[in-house]
Amino acid sequence: MSELAVLPNDFVSSQRAALRRLSDRHAYASVPVGLCVVLFVVNLLVQPAFAGRADWATASGVLVPYLFIGMAFTLPVLQGGFDLSIGTLAGFMTIFVSTVLLPSGITAPELVIPLVVAFGLLSGTINGFFIVYVRLPPIIATLGMYLFYEGLGTAVLPEQGGTIPGWLVRLSQSYGPIPGQWFVVAGFAIVWLALSRTALFRNILVVGGDERAAYTAGVNVKAVRLSSYALTGAIACIAGLMLAALIQSGDGTIGAQYTISGITAVALGGISLHGGKGGLFGGALGGAVLFLIAQLLTDANVSIYAVQIVDGIILIVALSLNGTLDYLRRRLLRKSLAQSAVSAAVEEGQSGIRTTV
Amino acid sequence: MPISKRPPEAYAADQAAIDTQLAVRDMARSFGETRALDSATLTLRRGEIHALAGENGSGKSTLIKILSGVIRPDGGEFMFQGSRARFASPYAAQHAGISTVYQETLITPEMSVRDNIFFGTDGLIRHQRSKSQEISGAHLALDQLGLPGLDIDRPMWTLSLAERQLVTVARAIVRPWQVLILDEGTSALDAHRRDRLFAYLRDASSEGKSVLFTSHRMDEVFDLAQRITVLRNGTTVATVDVAESSYSDVLQHMSGREQAAALMEETNGGSGEVRSAPSALAQRPARSGEPVLRVSDVTLRASSQPMSIELKRGEILGIAGLEGQGQVELVEALCGLSRPRGGRVIVVDDAGRDHEISSYRDANRRGVRYVPRDRRQEGLFASQSVFDNFAIASWGELNRFGILKRGAARKRYQEYAEYTRLVGSPNQPVSTLSGGNQQKVLLGRWTSMHPTVLVLNDPLRGVDANTKEELYQFFRSLAAEGMALVFLSTEIGELLVLTDRIAVIHEGSMQALLPTAEATNGKIVAAMFGQNPEEES
Ligand SMILES: Nc1ncnc2c1ncn2[C@@H]1O[C@H](COP(=O)(O)OP(=O)(O)OP(=O)(O)O)[C@@H](O)[C@H]1O
Ligand SMILES: [Mg+2]
Repeated sequence: MSELAVLPNDFVSSQRAALRRLSDRHAYASVPVGLCVVLFVVNLLVQPAFAGRADWATASGVLVPYLFIGMAFTLPVLQGGFDLSIGTLAGFMTIFVSTVLLPSGITAPELVIPLVVAFGLLSGTINGFFIVYVRLPPIIATLGMYLFYEGLGTAVLPEQGGTIPGWLVRLSQSYGPIPGQWFVVAGFAIVWLALSRTALFRNILVVGGDERAAYTAGVNVKAVRLSSYALTGAIACIAGLMLAALIQSGDGTIGAQYTISGITAVALGGISLHGGKGGLFGGALGGAVLFLIAQLLTDANVSIYAVQIVDGIILIVALSLNGTLDYLRRRLLRKSLAQSAVSAAVEEGQSGIRTTV
Repeated sequence: MPISKRPPEAYAADQAAIDTQLAVRDMARSFGETRALDSATLTLRRGEIHALAGENGSGKSTLIKILSGVIRPDGGEFMFQGSRARFASPYAAQHAGISTVYQETLITPEMSVRDNIFFGTDGLIRHQRSKSQEISGAHLALDQLGLPGLDIDRPMWTLSLAERQLVTVARAIVRPWQVLILDEGTSALDAHRRDRLFAYLRDASSEGKSVLFTSHRMDEVFDLAQRITVLRNGTTVATVDVAESSYSDVLQHMSGREQAAALMEETNGGSGEVRSAPSALAQRPARSGEPVLRVSDVTLRASSQPMSIELKRGEILGIAGLEGQGQVELVEALCGLSRPRGGRVIVVDDAGRDHEISSYRDANRRGVRYVPRDRRQEGLFASQSVFDNFAIASWGELNRFGILKRGAARKRYQEYAEYTRLVGSPNQPVSTLSGGNQQKVLLGRWTSMHPTVLVLNDPLRGVDANTKEELYQFFRSLAAEGMALVFLSTEIGELLVLTDRIAVIHEGSMQALLPTAEATNGKIVAAMFGQNPEEES
């Protein structure tokens, strides 16, 4: 009787599954994942020892700060804001650990880590306060913080110096096959996965998606903004710890260069600067792409300046690719929805509507 | 104190207080110079469905936003369930039991239907409901609203405007509510879906819950409401009982004028069998009727029949159908936004030559203009001024060396704003206009260009009854000048009043093409459900 009843069940469910795939909210990451794979393979071709390299721990030391920087820059973008101060805050953390905490005898990880994270939360909260309550534009408020940390860093420690606690040094060594920094990455991943299962992550995406929709639906927009800036500060400070482990000292000038890297990582990671979609994973992927490019060019003995040129080119290619793929995905989704709408209409026409006339 | 000492009036007063859900007194609110709300007074009883009526810009949405905790009043007060209330945020209002569907369809397009129903119910970190509770809650709400099959994991941007609007209604009804406020919550719905929603509202009110709604459709207001409160220029001018008043009473209260009301009474006359208004039609001059647009063997969907329509100069063609039957595809094919599966859309130029439409740009160049439906998403540039939004499409015509001739454009704007009684200054951001006035701006943008064919997708959504009548006249005068109009509407009465012919679309095919003079409400509804209109008795 009903035309739809004749359609085999698995046809309908495969149609559903296709729709599900097309509308997956992780689809944004397809370009950065692809880039990572391609760059990894190219790295292997140029330098066959890449995968099994003896200095894998050293390479991780370079990679991991990129991951955290990428994620830190992503978080405020998701809620429709921005934080410029991440790089110099991370840079200042190397000094905080080596020249402030160490001399006053605070070296144990169970003290240093909470203090560093607390510093980040506080710094992010200050950013958030000026943005949310004083209503400064995010770029201006966080530019202030950027300059503040840059100045403070160079004032306290004009050049690289100081020493870092032993456990932080040992983070750069391998434990079995695993470089120490990856334990930090894994620990953070667990914390973040737990956090993104809470309402907070959805709240962040709603606020980034449409602030008025969020507010009228009952979301506490100010609290969401404030806490996302606070968390951003915390991630920036973890990035700073990883930087300290990398350079094994404090350095007031190291942070600034990560600002551009962070912004590039966000874009490379497929994160829309309008906010409301994506996830921290994208920023981490974008950071990984930057690392892979740098690694490739270093192995190929190309000058450090060429790295920026290549970064720029890849950025533009990736963004165009992203846009194109997104467009195609949307078209496909629209088309298959139109098809299923027809079958649904047939179904409804047969069962519901007519009887109501 | 012995109870018997209390005077009997005290009991009556107590009883009245218990029966009152919401009492608003002298509510006021200004935005800069604009006095949006001056003195609004309203009581909403328990178990009552109450309509809030008023022209565009009369302050309805402003009052609703105050009651919902979105904005704060400058003066006045309101009592909710017997105690004085002042909500600091929408969250507080929802917590107290006031759920609201806002006039703008506020959604996040990238997020899923489920997220769009439930975001905002949570705390900052704690989910209020588990995932499975959300899933079953969403299904229940969508069932109640007549969207049972909707996949709740779909991203919102894939939904039609009507579906989006129903999702915002679902968002309101999944919250435990005592008072439900709908600010034109039905404006995008077709007759079938509207009936479903009304049935839900009646059920809820019979359980003692209260509903406050706004609508510019008088038939809807009289059908659903028990009492009507009328706002004019931000002030309550009357509260009337539906049983004891007529359309014209209410329209008169709304406008403060008399003649317009009489006109409306005629057009809407009675809620059942709506007939075309012959007086207005007869006044129109006979037209030569050369064809300007030809739809030739167009198929919209794989399973649908090809359709052919010839649109003549000066003709107004109406398009009707239930939501999602293919009307939008048809209209989009006419203006080149999408290509039909089969067949051709042809524009005939002044010299009588045929041109097939291949793209939106192409259609534009040939003089086919499109007024989209969802002003927030597709039409208006929210932060730009009213004037810029109006003038943007005139750029091509009114410029000298690429610079807009502001004087000429201003003059055009002034004329149009006067004609449609557009409330607001040309310099304010268009998003701060009232909903109906935004719609007028969008309409003015395209009509002021004098296209050959004007394709209108539900253009009078949110426009008040008196202005609608004036805009009908306006459309008729455009047609009399030789413009051809295609008019998609969810409102059958409107099509019967305005059009020359009505195409009814069902399951992607043209179920009927009726000359309006022979059409009735019943025939069109029959065709909308896929029946032969002539069999309808
Ligand atoms: N944020 C704002 N800034 C400036 N003016 C505003 C703002 N919001 C509303 N107004 C003005 O207040 C008046 C009342 O607007 P409101 O939206 O309450 O009207 P309404 O009765 O809901 O009209 P409609 O039927 O068109 O929706 C309008 O003149 C509008 O331009
Ligand atoms: Mg309004």
